[in-house]
Amino acid sequence: MSVFKRSSRDAMAGGPAVVLDANEPEIKVEHVSVRFDGKKGAAPVVALQDVSLDIRQGEFISLVGPSGCGKTTLLRTIADLQQPSSGRITVRGQTPREIRLQKKYGIVFQNPVLYDWRTVRRNVCMPMELKGVPKKTRTATVTEMLELVGLYHFGKKYPHELSGGMQQRVGIARALAIKPEILLMDEPFSALDEFTKEKLNEDLLKIWNKTNKTILFVTHNISEAVFLSDRVVVLSPHPGRVSAIVDITLPRPRGLAIKNTPEFGALVAKVRNSFEGV
Amino acid sequence: MNLRSSMNPPEEISVRIAATQQDVSNPEAPAADRRRFDAENLTTLLYPIVFGVLILILWQTQVLHRILGADTFTLPLPGRILTIIADNAPEILMNARATAIVALTGLLFGSMLGYLLGVIAAVFPKWGIGGLTVVSAFNAIPIIAVAPILNNLTKDFSRDADTRSMLAKILVVTLMTMVVMSINAYRGLTELKPYSEDLMKSYAARRTDVFFKLRVPNSVPFLFTALRVSVPGSVICALVSEYFAEYIVGVGRQIRENIVLAQYATAWAYILTACLMGILLYAILLAAEGSLLKGRR
Amino acid sequence: MEPNRKQDSNRLATFVWVLALILIWELGATLVAQTKRTPENVLPHLYQIVESVFSTKLVNGSQTAFQIVLANAGITLARAGIGFMLGAAIGFLLALLMNLMKTVEKIAFPYLMIIQMIPILGMAPIVLAVTKDIDKSRVIIAAILTFYPVATNTLAGFKAVPGEKLELMHVIAASKFEIYRKLLIPSCIPYFFTGLKVSAPMAITASILVDTLQGGGGLGTMLSQSLKHAMTIYVFWQIVFLSAIVGILSYHLMSVIEKLAAPHRWARKVKLDEPAQLDEPA
Repeated sequence: MSVFKRSSRDAMAGGPAVVLDANEPEIKVEHVSVRFDGKKGAAPVVALQDVSLDIRQGEFISLVGPSGCGKTTLLRTIADLQQPSSGRITVRGQTPREIRLQKKYGIVFQNPVLYDWRTVRRNVCMPMELKGVPKKTRTATVTEMLELVGLYHFGKKYPHELSGGMQQRVGIARALAIKPEILLMDEPFSALDEFTKEKLNEDLLKIWNKTNKTILFVTHNISEAVFLSDRVVVLSPHPGRVSAIVDITLPRPRGLAIKNTPEFGALVAKVRNSFEGV
Repeated sequence: MNLRSSMNPPEEISVRIAATQQDVSNPEAPAADRRRFDAENLTTLLYPIVFGVLILILWQTQVLHRILGADTFTLPLPGRILTIIADNAPEILMNARATAIVALTGLLFGSMLGYLLGVIAAVFPKWGIGGLTVVSAFNAIPIIAVAPILNNLTKDFSRDADTRSMLAKILVVTLMTMVVMSINAYRGLTELKPYSEDLMKSYAARRTDVFFKLRVPNSVPFLFTALRVSVPGSVICALVSEYFAEYIVGVGRQIRENIVLAQYATAWAYILTACLMGILLYAILLAAEGSLLKGRR
Repeated sequence: MEPNRKQDSNRLATFVWVLALILIWELGATLVAQTKRTPENVLPHLYQIVESVFSTKLVNGSQTAFQIVLANAGITLARAGIGFMLGAAIGFLLALLMNLMKTVEKIAFPYLMIIQMIPILGMAPIVLAVTKDIDKSRVIIAAILTFYPVATNTLAGFKAVPGEKLELMHVIAASKFEIYRKLLIPSCIPYFFTGLKVSAPMAITASILVDTLQGGGGLGTMLSQSLKHAMTIYVFWQIVFLSAIVGILSYHLMSVIEKLAAPHRWARKVKLDEPAQLDEPA
């Protein structure tokens, strides 16, 4: 731990933060394992075992797998919400912790986690308040973000007055409000119905197109992963490990119609077939 | 002792019941059903009123006395009680004021102290939870045991019997309301929505920010939960501690004194006053809650 | 952290706090002992109270202080218990009736709300005046204080049964009696006990309070007499601690009965994807 800290501090001291080589991956996951201590006497649960993964800047990458495969754990480890038991993660040449403290992460959970005592606008505002963004900029950014997710007219509403899909949009607007470099999404649409989910999938691609963020997207829905991603990382459980990485070669921009093409069907089948023993 | 189970009681219930009440007047009901719902609303209002009036009639016509085996001396007619209130208005108001001062001052200090305790417990959970377990045990101690102790402890506070009695009574209320508030405040400050702390962490928020922007707002509904218990509780504590107080003043004490003097009608007038005080304070609380929690789920 | 270790550390913290309270009490008692002529009236040392429990000195000619307290506790607690059980039964039945009949619910509901707001304990003297009997008054007040928390909580328990479960019962054409017996009553048990836990200490408080209103017998009477120095002040201190202990115990007693009545709520959750750990006899 201390080794990482020192090296990155040196990097920061050495002038403008790390300039990324075009070929250098933005997120480097190297031989990461995560173990949770079991109950008294029981063996520790291995959530991730020797996972390595490179994510390029601006890439849309999905982690898919059945429950217990460690996909959420991997996202949480990159987000510095969970510490790896061994191995290391480098984000833009720094540790996840440093990236988090520089507020370069945006995160969206399955549950929208809105503050129910704040209106939609003030919810989107929250991370900027914490970052100390001046009020004028905040107001402008909130408007911009709500327009981006198509909720401009709902700014004065309270979260409970919105549908599940709208709440999740607010969550995305909030995550984007601090202009993060990397957007981490942990099963953001899994609680929504199929129609809402497809609509939000399409919108998410538009937003990604406009903002050009790196997106790490966790889901258990194969079709959703194929539709959205540049690459789909397939994880297998017990212990969680990468069992395949499937390149999604479908053309962009993608519309929902692409789901009817044989190429799409073939890629879904390819992802499905790469699960081991499930 | 399990902290959570020790303090859940009536609050979650009243919330649930409020929810069932709303079902009756569902605003999203289709227009065709409107009339039926109007009839529902009417009976919801009408039935209890008819029931209440019926009891009053039975009381006034002394049928109630025959059922209970009471006489009009100990159970005076409603008309007589109202006359007494009208005749003794200044005195009743004076005693009501004394009781209200005790209840509200105790409620204010007790709730503030309780919230502070809750904050301390939330900031230092390792020792705080154990402390709250001990505090919640205070909940089960009868007021009757506490009131005389505080009476004795405050003997030296002032030469004036009224002042030192007042202090003793206020302390009883403070103690009781503090216990209720501390446990609810702790729950409000710590029972956060899943992931909300993770989210704060991903913003690299400072501890003070997490506290003031997440924990404190989260605790507001719990604050009202506590008040729903402690507002009626503060009136009860005030009345009972008056029984034991040195200085004879207050609605509770007047109920007792008048019964000792066999002035039952006057005692009933004070009972009615006590009930009205309780209802008034609770109504104020509900109004405050309604306007402050507007927009929340 | 492991749940067991966490529980242990909580228990330790609780223990330390109890010690701290004792320390504060003793500091106060020491202070009082130096400044007062009769410190035992204000704040005696705890050991003095414990000593008085075991003292063999006869206080009223035939009984020691502790014997007096115990004898009177019997009277008070028995009445509190009767009132409590009566109130619990009435409360449960009222909730059942309210759930069965909409009209009853509409009539009773506002009064259940209002009764929460009014100080019933303050009405104790008048109940005594109307009934003219101290025993009846104890029972009645304890019953009133028990009945409404039980009624409101049990009703909430009936209302909290998920619609799907009720619909399932309808689909399999269960009779109303079966629905209550197999679904509604079992599901409202935890709520019923929440009501009992609130009201058990209140019933005891009520019974003691009613005692103080008349010179018959009971803890309350002894408490007032002791305060008026008609007998040793330690009777008062013993009653203070006894009522506190009984109040706390009454709450725990309800928890214990609840565990016996609804064991499924306390069983540990078994996770499917974890290897099963059977409790095999060693």
